[in-house]
Amino acid sequence: MALKRLNRIVQLSHTVSLTRPLHGSGCGLQLGAATQTEAPMESPRAVFRTSESEPASHGEQHIGQFYTIPPSQVKTIFPHGLPYRFQQQIKTFNEACLMVRKPALELIGYLKKADPAHPSVRYVLYGERGTGKSLSLCHALHHCSLQDWLILHVPDAHLWVKNCKELMASSYHRARFDQPIEASVWLKNFRVTNERFLKEIKTSQKYIWSKREFTDEGRPLGEIVDQGVTRVKNASDAVGVVLKELKAQARPGSYRLVVGVDGVNALWGRTTLRKEDRSLIDPSELTLVHNLRKMMKNDWCGGAVIATVTQTGSVFTPSSAYLPQELLGKEGFDFLDPFLPVLVRAYSEKEFESSYQYYRDRHWIQHHTVDSLKSILCVSLAPPAGHTEEGKKELLFLSNRNPAALERLCAFL
Amino acid sequence: MAASIAKFLRPWSPGVLPARWTRYNPYYLEPEPSKEVYRIPVTELTDEQKAAQELKAVRPIKAAPPGLTSSVFSDPTVSKFVNMMMEDGDKVLARSIITQTFESMKRKQVEKYHKAPATEKEGIECNPYTIFHQALENCKPIIGLISIQKGGKYYQVPTPLTDSRRRFLAMKWLITECRDNKHRRTHMYEKLSQELLAAFMNEGNVIKRKHDMHKMAEANRAFAHYRWW
Repeated sequence: MALKRLNRIVQLSHTVSLTRPLHGSGCGLQLGAATQTEAPMESPRAVFRTSESEPASHGEQHIGQFYTIPPSQVKTIFPHGLPYRFQQQIKTFNEACLMVRKPALELIGYLKKADPAHPSVRYVLYGERGTGKSLSLCHALHHCSLQDWLILHVPDAHLWVKNCKELMASSYHRARFDQPIEASVWLKNFRVTNERFLKEIKTSQKYIWSKREFTDEGRPLGEIVDQGVTRVKNASDAVGVVLKELKAQARPGSYRLVVGVDGVNALWGRTTLRKEDRSLIDPSELTLVHNLRKMMKNDWCGGAVIATVTQTGSVFTPSSAYLPQELLGKEGFDFLDPFLPVLVRAYSEKEFESSYQYYRDRHWIQHHTVDSLKSILCVSLAPPAGHTEEGKKELLFLSNRNPAALERLCAFL
Repeated sequence: MAASIAKFLRPWSPGVLPARWTRYNPYYLEPEPSKEVYRIPVTELTDEQKAAQELKAVRPIKAAPPGLTSSVFSDPTVSKFVNMMMEDGDKVLARSIITQTFESMKRKQVEKYHKAPATEKEGIECNPYTIFHQALENCKPIIGLISIQKGGKYYQVPTPLTDSRRRFLAMKWLITECRDNKHRRTHMYEKLSQELLAAFMNEGNVIKRKHDMHKMAEANRAFAHYRWW
């Protein structure tokens, strides 16, 4: 396992990053300095923070800069959406700062221009391991949430196709399987994000859960969610009902729906779950996967589907695969086709510099050779002149500008 | 006699050629990992450095051990600690435990730093390397005990310790403490980070063990003359 850990850092840094040449990077920085109200005290040459906390107003001049998400919004919009290491970072730094990057800006631009009357467009974020696909998805969802869209966020679809402790046969369909724990957890988090919509949207038909329990037509959707959370046995079916209702009622006049799925290739891959006779279960035989697949079709209007294809966490896929064709397979690709692919690359030089300055500002990079701000107790270890850049050059080399590799390297330095 | 010395000085290579061996001919030179040495331009070399460079052209060089790097982040104390913690030659696992320890220590301290008011921020140490070095320093015993046999009985006699022995004892105590006195489900890196932070503040079981050693030495003061060196 430790070998895998070190190998991961090596793999992350071996990713081929085709960085764009920085045309006018000098003017970009100057423009940044001119339009920013807030500048860090220690280094006037690299401005790494921006005071714009609305993703809608982020533009080209904000690329490479960090914007803060207020803690209240983090709790409501991302109860389960952020990657684990980012959650740890939020806890340590006491703030949630996300970097504005080109793929996310591109996505937000498309979302702004999209016509609600047209069928929903499917966007697929792809890229090598550790380049920032999940956080770009979170950035786009933050924007949608502030624009008052309904957020349907599946933080990791891979969790639904592996390591399921309780698998039970579905009561609704004989050949399918239910996953009560995963479904109830997801419903709880869904409720936290979309409280106000759950009161407004009404069911369009009667749903019978068992001999004595049923939900009438015209009741608020919140009741279905409560039913799924309290009666864990019906949770997967409750999820199916919620998805069906939201899709049916997402019209240009009413709310706008965004479906964010991280690891959509799990829906068309293989599972590690087995039936009682030890034969492998196909993803289509799982209720949750079956219902989510229906959401990914573009036969509804008034919203968007943003998906990520990732090898991390996927089962039975080679670690070098990162393209949508390789990860989705023929079936998945044909289902999602036509989609808009968005490539997420490793950091550019400016973004790397910005990330490095942010870690220094937050006192995260502590090693004395990396010119730490806090040199109170390091006076005796003060680096000789010319030594301060050594650490930074080494970080650049070791991480190959890969965001995840840089984060893991700075963690112990 | 001249013939025997000449025999010693002629080029010698072992019959079987291993990749690395602890018993090299003293003739072999140590490898030089630091980049600074190679960056000095030829004109600025001192006479000794020039002589060393010329010697490298004629003498063979020992194989570099696996823990030797030219990285600016390498620390010999940390490398020694990793080697001591290593079991069955699994250096990757030992090193990953140490990096996780540093990360968890840094996380705790940085979180405390960001939540503290401005007056207390100066006092919080966030650098895991300084914490590690300081904690190790606090765990090193000043005086040790050795077992000396006199008149059929063995006595614990107080004795001064060399620097390397003190460092070894501090590291050994830390590792054994973290291996033995932890809950079955606590990870090594968690326990180690707790112990290091406690030792940094001069608390914890390892500091207690050091104080016990000092008290024993103080108590056995009378037997100090049993030592004849």
